[in-house]
Amino acid sequence: MKRTLGSNLKNQSELIEELRKRQQFRFQLSVYLSWLGLLIILLFAFSGFEAQFWGIQVRTIKLDFQFIRRHAPFIAGGIGLTILLSFFSIILASCLAFLGALGRLSKIPLVYALATFYISLIRGTPLLLQIIFFYLGLPQLGIRLSGMTAGILALGINYGAYMTEIFRAGIQSVGVGQREAALAIGMNQRQLMQRIVLPQAIRLVIPPIGNQFIAMLKDTALVSVTGFVWEILWRAQKQGRAYFRNLEALFIAAIFYWILTIIFSLIQGRVEAYFAKGDR
Amino acid sequence: MQPIVDVHHLDKYFGRLHVLKDISFSVDTAEVVCIIGRSGSGKSTFLRCLNFLETPDHGSISVDGVVVNANESGRSYHRRLHAIRLKTGMVFQAFNLFPHMTALENVIEGPITVKKINQQEAVEIGKSNLEKVGLADKQDEYPSRLSGGQQQRVAIARALAMQPRIMLFDEPTSSLDPELIAEVLDVMQQLVEDGMTMLIVTHEMGFARNFADRVIFIDEGHFVEEGSPNQVFSEPQDQRTQIFLNALKRFNQADNKS
Repeated sequence: MKRTLGSNLKNQSELIEELRKRQQFRFQLSVYLSWLGLLIILLFAFSGFEAQFWGIQVRTIKLDFQFIRRHAPFIAGGIGLTILLSFFSIILASCLAFLGALGRLSKIPLVYALATFYISLIRGTPLLLQIIFFYLGLPQLGIRLSGMTAGILALGINYGAYMTEIFRAGIQSVGVGQREAALAIGMNQRQLMQRIVLPQAIRLVIPPIGNQFIAMLKDTALVSVTGFVWEILWRAQKQGRAYFRNLEALFIAAIFYWILTIIFSLIQGRVEAYFAKGDR
Repeated sequence: MQPIVDVHHLDKYFGRLHVLKDISFSVDTAEVVCIIGRSGSGKSTFLRCLNFLETPDHGSISVDGVVVNANESGRSYHRRLHAIRLKTGMVFQAFNLFPHMTALENVIEGPITVKKINQQEAVEIGKSNLEKVGLADKQDEYPSRLSGGQQQRVAIARALAMQPRIMLFDEPTSSLDPELIAEVLDVMQQLVEDGMTMLIVTHEMGFARNFADRVIFIDEGHFVEEGSPNQVFSEPQDQRTQIFLNALKRFNQADNKS
C-alpha cells in the first residue's frame, strides 16, 4: 500500500517535469519555425520574383547570382583577416580596460585622472575618426603605421575605454569580505589580486567581453577606410565597384558578417555557461 | 609566562567616533577569552585591530613577541604586520570562503600561496584540517553547495591550516540558522580541548559560560567588566553588565516559552 503511494507520488512529479519539458520543447520549435519563416521572407525579398496581381506589378530585388557565385570566394578571403583584426584588438582592449579599471579604482589622484581622461577622450570622439587619425594623422608626425596596425590600435584603444567600466564592475563585485579573508591569511596586495579578486572578476567579465568581441567583428569594417586592410567589407567594395555590382557585393559581405556573428554568439553562449558553473 | 597577545593603550576612531578607548589587554597561551557586548560596542573592531584589518590610531599590539605600534609605516612595519597576520587565524561572521575554490582549495590556498608550501604537503595539511572539522567528505564541494554551518567549519579549517598561535572568532555563529549553530560550536569546543588560544566575540552565552577562562564585557569602547564566567554572569559588578545580561535573559526566556 505504502509502496504504491510512493510510486504514485514519484509518477506525479515525473509527469509535471515531463509536461514542463514538452512545453519548453514546443516553444523552442515554434521559435525555430518562425525564424525559418522570416528567413524565407528575407530570401524571397532578394529572389527577383516578378508577377502581376490584378494589374499591380509585384517585383522583388533581383540579384546577379552569377556575380555572387564568382566573387563570393574572393570576399570570403577577408573572413580570416576580420577575425584576426577583432582578435588582436580585443586583446589590446582587454589589457587597456584592465589598466583603466585599476586606474578608476585607484586612490592616487593622478592615476585616477589618467584613467578618466582616457575614457572621456576616447568615448568623446568617433571611432571612425580615431581610425583615420591613426592611419592618416600620425604620418604627419612622422609615425607611419600599416592599415592593419592602425586598425588594431584604434579599435583596441576605443573598445578599451568602453570596456573599462565592465572590468571595474567585475573587480568591484568581489566583496570586502573576500579581501579581508585573503588579508587575514597573510596575502599581500598582489596575491590578493591574482588569486582572489581576478579569478572571480574574470568569471563576471568574460561574457560581456564576448559581447564586445561580437560587436567588434562588425566594427572592423570601419578599418576598410584605410584602403589597405583586405577584410570583408574592403574586398566587397572593391569587387562591387569594379563590376558595378555593389548590391550583390554588399549582400555577400552582410551574409558573412551575419554568419560570423551567429557562430561567435553560439560560442559565447557555451563560454558563458562554462563560467556560470559552480558557485553563486 | 609571556602572554601571546599584549595590547597597550589601544585607541581607534572612525572619523570623529571614538570606538575603542585606551584598551590594555593580554591573553595567555591556551587561554580562551570571550568578548561580549551590545552591537556597536566596539567588540568586533577590537578583534579586527588585533590582525590589523582595522588600523589602530594609538597604542601598540604585540602578538607572540612581534610588536607593532600605531602610526608606524615603512618596510619593517609591513613585515611585522604580515608576521602578526600569520600568527593569527581569523573566522568571520559571514564565513568569507573563496567561492571559486572547492573546500580543500580554500584550505590549502594560504599554505601554498602565502607560505609557499608544496602542493602535496599542503593537501596533506588541508585534508587533516578538514577532517578535524568533520568535513573530509566535502573537500571537493564548492562553498555554494555547502550549508552555512559547513561553510563556517571550512573557514575554521582554512584558518587552522596556517597553524596560527591564536584564533580570532568574530561572531562565528551569528549568521547561522539556529539548527546549524551547534556543529560550529562543537568544532570550537574541540579546539578548546586541543589547547588552542582563542579570542571569541560572541553572543553564545552558553558557550562562554562553559568554555571561557575569562569573559570580558565591552561597552562604548571600554572594558567594563572582566573576570571568570562565573563572576561575570552570576555576580556582575557593573550596572551596564547587569542590564545587558538581564536583557539577554529575558530574550532567552521568551525564546524558550515560544
